[in-house]
Amino acid sequence: MADTSTDHSAAAGIDLSQFYQVFFEEAGENLENMEQLLLELDIEAADDEEMNAIFRCAHSIKGGAATFGFSDVAELTHQMETLLDKLRRHELVPTPPMVDVLLQSGDALKAMLGRHQGSGGEEVDTSGLLFNIRAMVAGEAPPAAEAPVAKAQVPAAQAPVAAAATAATTGKRIVELRVGPLNDLSQADNLVDLFKEITDLGTIEPLPDDPSLDATRRFKVETASAESELLDLFTFHVAREQVAFLPYGDAATPAAPAAQAEASEKGYGFFDDAPGAPAAAQPVAPVSAVEPQQPKPATAVAKPAAPKAEKPAAALEASTIRVSVEKVDQLINLVGELVITQAMLAQNSRGLDPVVYQQLVTGLTDLDRNTRDLQEAVMSIRMIPMSTVFSRFPRMLRDLANKLGKKVELVTQGEATELDKGLVEKITDPLTHLVRNSCDHGVEMPADRIANGKPEVGTITLAASHQGGSIVIEVRDDGRGLSREKLLRKAREKGIDAPDSLTDSEVWNLIFAPGFSTADVVTDVSGRGVGMDVVKKNITSLGGTVEIDSAEGYGMRVAVRLPLTLAIMDGMSVGVGEEVYILPLSSVVESFQVSQEMVKTIGGSGRVVEVRDEYMPVIELEKVFQVPRFDWEHNSGIMVVVEAESGRVALLVDELLGQQQVVVKNLETNYRKVNDVSGATIMGDGRVALILDVGSLVRRSRH
Amino acid sequence: MGMMEKLDVQADLAREYLTFRLGDEEYGIDILKVQEIRGYENPTRIANAPHFLKGVVNLRGTIVPIVDLRMRFGCSSAEYNAFTVSIILHIGQRTIGVVVDSVSDVMEIPAEAMRPAPEMTSAIEATYIRGLAQVGERMVILLDIESMLMSQDMGLVD
Repeated sequence: MADTSTDHSAAAGIDLSQFYQVFFEEAGENLENMEQLLLELDIEAADDEEMNAIFRCAHSIKGGAATFGFSDVAELTHQMETLLDKLRRHELVPTPPMVDVLLQSGDALKAMLGRHQGSGGEEVDTSGLLFNIRAMVAGEAPPAAEAPVAKAQVPAAQAPVAAAATAATTGKRIVELRVGPLNDLSQADNLVDLFKEITDLGTIEPLPDDPSLDATRRFKVETASAESELLDLFTFHVAREQVAFLPYGDAATPAAPAAQAEASEKGYGFFDDAPGAPAAAQPVAPVSAVEPQQPKPATAVAKPAAPKAEKPAAALEASTIRVSVEKVDQLINLVGELVITQAMLAQNSRGLDPVVYQQLVTGLTDLDRNTRDLQEAVMSIRMIPMSTVFSRFPRMLRDLANKLGKKVELVTQGEATELDKGLVEKITDPLTHLVRNSCDHGVEMPADRIANGKPEVGTITLAASHQGGSIVIEVRDDGRGLSREKLLRKAREKGIDAPDSLTDSEVWNLIFAPGFSTADVVTDVSGRGVGMDVVKKNITSLGGTVEIDSAEGYGMRVAVRLPLTLAIMDGMSVGVGEEVYILPLSSVVESFQVSQEMVKTIGGSGRVVEVRDEYMPVIELEKVFQVPRFDWEHNSGIMVVVEAESGRVALLVDELLGQQQVVVKNLETNYRKVNDVSGATIMGDGRVALILDVGSLVRRSRH
Repeated sequence: MGMMEKLDVQADLAREYLTFRLGDEEYGIDILKVQEIRGYENPTRIANAPHFLKGVVNLRGTIVPIVDLRMRFGCSSAEYNAFTVSIILHIGQRTIGVVVDSVSDVMEIPAEAMRPAPEMTSAIEATYIRGLAQVGERMVILLDIESMLMSQDMGLVD
């Protein structure tokens, strides 16, 4: 962003709108980054690095917003920056209200950026925020609730403090304008001409040159225009970082460096990047008014000051590129093709004599390995770390805990675990629900926790890990856990058949029943009983499972198990007649051979089979899919037990053909939804095989 | 007469048609809808689908449904031999294949050669016939293949 804001040829002539998207993306990232940093900030011992990093986020957004003319965004970030600058220079001590105001400002900025992007929404009123920030900058601590009343006082409160600061300031004021260092001092004369041409701007008078400032011209300017407006005009003649505004008269009294530093900060708050030496830095580098990180001398100063924070950011920038998901998906499709072609070649070459065709066979083996590696590499492009999901929870939990009057700490583990992008988007809502539940129902009030001999602050843990071909995301809390008696009682109230003989895990699973809530009080957070069933349904639809574990008084654990990706699935292929069907391996429980006698009928048609003292409905795939038979003396002798939606059925098939990874294709792209089929895939021989929807088969057995 | 008006509108658009044979009949469809022509390959059967839906095939990674037009139009026989071809059509956002006995020609049919189809009962609803064209001794039935395939009774869309 900094690049575009200093690119004056662009500012002058080129249509900036082509860069909007880049700005929105970067501003979005900066906002997220800032929010995260603010949440991690330890108020009692604020780290300089962190403060600098937060400041830089606000600063980058401001720079971009000003360049592209989003003045509302620029104004708010400008004020945030002023406050942040005071904090990082230890002129103000950070307080929780400050963090709150900054977080709220972040939300407001998100809304504003959304509006500018055309997503609509209400106009964002930032006057309260602006007032609060200004008051904080001035060292006051206004409670947020007073904002509406205080608003009326804005002009009065503002005038002395922020006369030079705010873009919204009205009324004339006198500032000192410094322009330099200039290659040619006459460039500054253009500014004088500018004031002549635009009479509304005010007046400009040259001041005697200060010998301590090299190649710099000074002017006394009386104006009613905001500095950002002036800067926009000046950019036609001189670069932004060559322009500096100072409160008039300060330079004449260099004996008061502290006062000067403070006064100038009210204007910009980013005069230098070397904390601890503001006064010393100022005479040498007054030029870096807008982009202190950009001009070379300032960068040299900034780097040693914040080496740690600078490095990862730079490394990240250099090592990533933005690519549209569409392109990646196209790549994945093409690789899928390649894998199929490769499988076909492998199949066709099987009969070749390896002695005669040695080279060909070697080549095909290499091709096999390379395609597999390529497939894995391409699939990994779509994988994004869980931290993108986890990062939204600290903020949510903080707000929630405040609202409920609870004390909760969030611990995240395994943020680096990677998951398919498509899944990440779909898992966020269910996870949010689970975390919310843990905070609302799980963790007790601080007093209750102390009474129970637990630490006052409850802990909610989010952990992600890879287990085999799936990813397991756990939400754990050390709260009150689930109560067996309460669940059974509630279930019976709801008319669910719940005998005392149910195992613990069966009891826990009761909370997945529709409309089930164990909360005694319905809050606006949760407890309405619309939830766990939806969570379970959503996760099941992604091919995942949910498990609950709980110990009353000690907490509970919800484990969500998901396949790594939606595009590739482990499948078991089964043969029925001459046709091949694919079963998702995750739903296959076991398979065994049956003889005719093992299959019994109920009511003449319903067929069941006994498996380990349990009778299970039998579904003959042959009948479901009306498979034509050419071999009249066949014998379907294999049962595959599959499980879905907490039900099991035994599928009767002719043979098991093997297990393989299959690329899942959508049938609905060119055709339509087919009953009992969730998709299709392309087999090694290039033919299409249908993937069975086990959930729908289980439902079929129920009626 | 509705058909005449339709013809008038299209009069200035002398269109090119791909013509193919179904049994003894010759049909033409708008060439712009045709993506490619392939030899017939055995599709994967879909259960509980209408009899004319032969199933789905793999067309370079996409799953494409295949409709046998001969069965749809009630031709007396629908054999699959070396001449049987699938015409892959691009209709709206979808790719759909139709099976025909053989592809004959690409021809430009001027509007004045088109005649409205008489109102009569047949396996093809009159609304799916743009017109009949006289080409030499032959009669070509010009189909509105898009509206026919997208109609509810084809069962190709939800």
